[in-house]
Amino acid sequence: MNFEISLIWESLPKIAEGAELTVRLHLLSLVFGTVLALGLVLMRISGIAILSWPAFAYIYVFRGTPLLVQVFLIYYGLAQFEFIRASPLWIILREPFWCAIIAFSLNVAAYTAEILRGGIQGVDQGLHEAGRALGLSTSQRFIHVTAPIAIRLSLPAYGNEMISLMKGTALVSLITMYDITGVARTIMARTFAPYEIFISAAIVYLGLTWLIQRAIAHAERRFSRYVRA
Amino acid sequence: MHKSIATMAAVASILFLSPAVSAQEKLDVGSECTYFPFNYRDSDGVLKGYDVDVANEIGKRLKAKIEYTCMKFDGLIPALLAGKFDLIAASLSITEERATKIDFSVPYRLSIGQFVAAKAKKLVLFNADGSINKAAFKGIKVGIQRATTYDSWFQAIVPDATVVRYEGTDAVYLDLKAGRVDAIMSNPMKIYLDFLSKPDGAGFEVIGPQIAEEKYFGTGAGIGLRKGNDALRKRIDVALTEMKKDGTLDKFSKFYFPFAIH
Repeated sequence: MNFEISLIWESLPKIAEGAELTVRLHLLSLVFGTVLALGLVLMRISGIAILSWPAFAYIYVFRGTPLLVQVFLIYYGLAQFEFIRASPLWIILREPFWCAIIAFSLNVAAYTAEILRGGIQGVDQGLHEAGRALGLSTSQRFIHVTAPIAIRLSLPAYGNEMISLMKGTALVSLITMYDITGVARTIMARTFAPYEIFISAAIVYLGLTWLIQRAIAHAERRFSRYVRA
Repeated sequence: MHKSIATMAAVASILFLSPAVSAQEKLDVGSECTYFPFNYRDSDGVLKGYDVDVANEIGKRLKAKIEYTCMKFDGLIPALLAGKFDLIAASLSITEERATKIDFSVPYRLSIGQFVAAKAKKLVLFNADGSINKAAFKGIKVGIQRATTYDSWFQAIVPDATVVRYEGTDAVYLDLKAGRVDAIMSNPMKIYLDFLSKPDGAGFEVIGPQIAEEKYFGTGAGIGLRKGNDALRKRIDVALTEMKKDGTLDKFSKFYFPFAIH
């Protein structure tokens, strides 16, 4: 077996085209997932059983099953039912793109909710007391005292989650989409050179990861101004 | 001098001959194992199908032990090249493109493709003279299995078509049935057995003639080997030619189909 280094460079531009889809999937799922996570974490820490239990169950289910299984359940599973294909939902569910967005958002929400819970519970009890002494209400204390510090504490773990979601998007190549991995596999079908082609794909993924790392590092600096000052 | 040459010859003869003498020859065969009725597992998990029958018979005639490795279709040729197994028996069509990377035996079955779509769609993919109606492919999605002959045919003949690529044929049928793709292209014998003859296939029909352009579909499906295995390839060719002559291939194909497929 011979190794053609030129194949890596030749396939890079085509594979980079797939990166556009990877980035769109990643950003949209992050936005939807994070919004959902905010609601979930508030339910989870509310101390009201009727709210916290459903949130707990949701997080358990979505963290406890493989992302691939969730993607297949939504893409192939739901399509099996006649009434879903006949319903207006099908406009969204017939598109692999939206199936992927739904699966990734639901999944990322479960992880992010737990990350945020860790951040919120990590805020020093003394700050709550200080806030109360200043006469701030519960919601004022949450918004102005707890949240900024909790976000700062959650950022490193959230950065991890962003990177793992970005790699998770490779699963869409299994539901007919041409993301980085999908394009790479299509090229491989013609060149039969998996080593070179997947090295190309790995380079593009590393580039994206580097961007995410930079963004998180920047955010961390910004949110720790209170510590440095 | 003479003595050392003699010693080397003796060592070489031991090195080359000993495996054949000491143990039965073993041939590792790569297949997809999900391509009914050519290579698949039955409900007991036993590997069956036309490709499997042919490979087993080759093993019998070559007095070799056959062992199977199953993997996704698009991984078979890379894995063969990487030495993970010695032969591919997976309805692999003999095409010019593939022949630049691997060698093939003589064909042991026909290689053709055909379209299937919902009757209600009334797609006209071919002109009256049987030629392809390229304009009809605008705005429709065609489902195929990744890395197959159908894939290269589309890229060459109807490059503007929206091709949706799947891991295996099961997923292609699921999405045709669900309406995510408008038409599919696959092997007509397979579509008939797998889909059209079953309740799921009601409301669907074949469209247009069978396509067998040799440049893309090849001269048929053969056993794939790494290049440079000419001795083994010739032994397999002899076995396959005999199987064709003595009616063994007929017997195998009639077990699955109402007609001969080689």
